[in-house]
Amino acid sequence: MAALTVIGVGSRLRGDDAIGPLLIDALSDQTHSQIELVDAGSDALGIIEYFQGRDHVIVVDACQMGRDAGCIEEIDPTQIDLVIKDDPVSLHGLGLAEAIKMAESLQMLPEDLKIIGIEPESIQFNSSLSVPVQRALKKAVKIVHTELNRVKQLAEA
Amino acid sequence: MSRDLDIKVHHLTRVEGHGNIVVNMKDGVLEKAHLSIVEPPRFFEAMLKGRSFHEAAIITSRICGICSLGHQLTSLVTTEDALGLEVSEQTVLLRKLLVHGATLQSNILHAYFLAAPDFLNVGSVFPLIATHKDVVLRALRMKRLANDIADIVSGRAVHPITPVPGGFSRIPEKAELLEIKRKLLEEGLPDGLETIETMKALAGAIPQFERETEYVSLKHPDEYALYQGDIFSSDSGAIPVSSYLDVTNEFVVNHSTSKHAKYNRNSYFVGALARWNNNHAQLGEEALAAAEAIGLKPKCFNPYMNTIAQVVEAVHCILDSVRIIDKLIEMGLKNEKPNQTPTRYGRGIGSNEVPRGILFHDYTYDNKGNILQANCVIPTGQNLANIDNDMMKLVPEIVDKSKEEITLNLEMLVRAYDPCISCSVHMLEVDFIE
Repeated sequence: MAALTVIGVGSRLRGDDAIGPLLIDALSDQTHSQIELVDAGSDALGIIEYFQGRDHVIVVDACQMGRDAGCIEEIDPTQIDLVIKDDPVSLHGLGLAEAIKMAESLQMLPEDLKIIGIEPESIQFNSSLSVPVQRALKKAVKIVHTELNRVKQLAEA
Repeated sequence: MSRDLDIKVHHLTRVEGHGNIVVNMKDGVLEKAHLSIVEPPRFFEAMLKGRSFHEAAIITSRICGICSLGHQLTSLVTTEDALGLEVSEQTVLLRKLLVHGATLQSNILHAYFLAAPDFLNVGSVFPLIATHKDVVLRALRMKRLANDIADIVSGRAVHPITPVPGGFSRIPEKAELLEIKRKLLEEGLPDGLETIETMKALAGAIPQFERETEYVSLKHPDEYALYQGDIFSSDSGAIPVSSYLDVTNEFVVNHSTSKHAKYNRNSYFVGALARWNNNHAQLGEEALAAAEAIGLKPKCFNPYMNTIAQVVEAVHCILDSVRIIDKLIEMGLKNEKPNQTPTRYGRGIGSNEVPRGILFHDYTYDNKGNILQANCVIPTGQNLANIDNDMMKLVPEIVDKSKEEITLNLEMLVRAYDPCISCSVHMLEVDFIE
């Protein structure tokens, strides 16, 4: 089994929201038998399934953090307050925050879960990645490699 | 009654300020009761223009994580209609299996994660995790089963890749289908029947409200229509899919950036309850027994019961999936290549029942196989006028309740239709304290 699972969340059609799936593409262009890659698309709730039986998981998504566009934050979801929409009118209202909270309540969170959040510039339909987020994509690939090394060292220790 | 009411529910959705309930009553006279929604899939048309017939379905499937398969299959049948591509019986069966998986997943999640919290008056699914953990796990298990079907038949659970114009780029193995069948019978069916029991236990909390309206769905001569058929109206009967514009009659209203639709009356209903009302006689005996057990009558005019019709459909999808797998195996799986040689170019119209109701795609191709023009009419748009009419009847009936109760009843009404509003953006919001 892969040492690390990376899950990209987001819609490829909505500008910077595509960052999650595009990171998965970028990683799959390289050889990574040690990384399990998951393009979850925009079905955020579906990521819970990939938490089961995995110890080290990274979720990559566009995050509204009030930062400058392209800013990357490595987030430990147990250490921050996720903004939960607890009154969604539709299934479409159940997103990443809700999925993580649900997994946490069900004791399904992987032992080591990290979110790589990237501040978007635009999430308009039918637009491409903004320049700041294109740069962030390259940085995020490096972050995943660093994480892989850390996880491997943990396994060896 | 001379009550004044002024209700504005904003932020019904994650999309900024869109999707608001507005009710205005003065001296007991209801002046306004409506829902306004922005409908992102309207951007379909612009995204599809100039794309080749190989791309159309992939693009539409990525509009939305929850509706992806419905859009993809409807896009495929539309392209096949436009280009004169015939598909095999095996392709049709595999597609029907996919539709069952998608319908099962959406209906179950809606019933457990949106409707059940309303029936239990707990606000959201999160309190239920503490009090009804087994039920939440059951919902996730059923979602997983639906994903397994999608994974095996379409290559990927969320944004399917193997369904292509003219067929499938990969045919599942017999052993894979048998494994799905085993799970459907050993896990899916017991979970489906327990879902009926759970919903039956909660059904007492469903508001007693009725408004007879026009119900529009597909109708198929041989089966409970989910994949293709004719359009059927409870008022006026069958009409071919090619005449869909005579049914949808979209019109613009001031309070919504999404168009409304009307056919024989000033609004109509699409979705599980419309399918049930029009086609229930074509369900199998297990689904009909489930309907009877849960109190869903052959003609039901309570829009809140849409959720109940969804769980009855879930039982049908599980059992009919088993039937389809048996048939595929009996026929012997053939490693056929998709038929992608156009015999004509021009306009095609396609329609399927997606979880939220009847969906139409309409493309015109040039003679190179690129899209010149596209039109998509999604279920939520078709339901908006009907939701408004429900509200106009509902508010005077519950006017003696508190403002909070009225608001909850209205929100539950909107949730019963499970509108597709914020398709596809799943942005995480994080408040940093600095």
